[in-house]
Amino acid sequence: MSSIVVSGDTSGAVTLSAPAVAGTVTVTLPSASGTMAVLPTATGVLAESAGGTGTTTGYYGFKNRIINGAMVIDQRNAGNTVNNTTAGLYTLDRWLIYGSVSAKFRVAQSGMPAVNSAGFSYCIQIYSLANTTVSASDIYVLSQYIEGYNIADMLWGTASAKSFTVSFWVYSTLTGTFGGYVKGGSTYTYPFTYTVSSANTWQQVSVTIPGQTAGTWNTTNGIGFTVGFSFGTGSTYTAAANSWTGGDYYGATGQTQFVSTSAATMYITGVQLEKGSTATAFDYRDYGREMIMCQRYYTQFGLEQASSSLSQLGVAYQATTAVFPYILPVKMRSQPTVSASTTELVEWQTLNTYTPTTYTLPTAQQATQSPLIAINISPSSMTAGRVYTLRATSTAGYIAFISEL
Amino acid sequence: MIYKLMNFQGQLACIGKFENGVQTMAIPINPDNTDYQAYLAWLEEGNTPEPADEQGAA
Repeated sequence: MSSIVVSGDTSGAVTLSAPAVAGTVTVTLPSASGTMAVLPTATGVLAESAGGTGTTTGYYGFKNRIINGAMVIDQRNAGNTVNNTTAGLYTLDRWLIYGSVSAKFRVAQSGMPAVNSAGFSYCIQIYSLANTTVSASDIYVLSQYIEGYNIADMLWGTASAKSFTVSFWVYSTLTGTFGGYVKGGSTYTYPFTYTVSSANTWQQVSVTIPGQTAGTWNTTNGIGFTVGFSFGTGSTYTAAANSWTGGDYYGATGQTQFVSTSAATMYITGVQLEKGSTATAFDYRDYGREMIMCQRYYTQFGLEQASSSLSQLGVAYQATTAVFPYILPVKMRSQPTVSASTTELVEWQTLNTYTPTTYTLPTAQQATQSPLIAINISPSSMTAGRVYTLRATSTAGYIAFISEL
Repeated sequence: MIYKLMNFQGQLACIGKFENGVQTMAIPINPDNTDYQAYLAWLEEGNTPEPADEQGAA
């Protein structure tokens, strides 16, 4: 083996070296002027700046297992604020908030409080509504459940479990060391911390987590994994940061309790969970694809209010019931729950209106992509076989199909 | 909040969830559905749903 050493113009040198090979190998240099591409490093990682993935995983498709990590989809609330409740409450698509005491913090889809160098346009705003004392058993969190199908290749619970990296951007009026967690079911939790040392400045946080070789992890349509941000967690539900802990935890020991400072405001966006030990550039998906991914868990149809609306046509199959078929944009995770705003039925021929009393999901039609809804009225006054329109009684009318985790 | 059994063509079709007398959900009878799981947990606490209406589709 021999090498060619080219001295640098002002300092240093570049060494061209050849490996041991059998026979004679020819490498043809480019015939045009330019700079040669950088080859992968010794670990096999080609940097993103050189056109690689930046990881040893070597793939691009579905790099980010978080859905709506850029906070662009908000079907339910369209940017309106939502206070936490003592039951889990979905806000921006796929993002769930929970608080042990109601109305201690609120969230909303937000524009960016300052330009973010990574190019995000939206974030989720978290706002503390009071100087809340966090008791030992209190929990105030924002989290996302990841469906088992979407993490099956991580091989968690096996000897081949893959490490992964969670990254996100944060901007906060309150400085401190805040807590978060990843977990599978209630069996294993990995609490982590991140420090905001400069208020009102975007910073990227990255946490690399070793694959968990123990436990049983859902790899189908149940909860495979949870990623959460804590805004207040009491001692009963915190554990030491940066290691897997058996049990059900929602924050890290010693973390700053965000909800204890009234009017504290935090913004989070660019949340990504990817295989490998490096936080790479955000997997920025197009809006339509991100919407479809959200609609697997929640699909909302707006209902028109106008009397001639064609928002949804159905047929009366008896005097008390009209049925309305729906074709959903994507197969939902499971047979969906249906939730509707206040509606009314309008007979297409006569424009007579009827007030629904209840709605039902006919058993045989409880499909994951083409459900049928039966709208019931009382007393019996519709005409079987005639066409009816389902319309809203307010401008915010909707029918939603829900199959959240 | 109450749950009510909901019939269609004389058979149990889904579970209705009502708040302040207004229906907020129609929940399919499916163990993968988290609203149905919440209903089952509510039953395990010793609660009983409202019976289905005897006539019609409701």
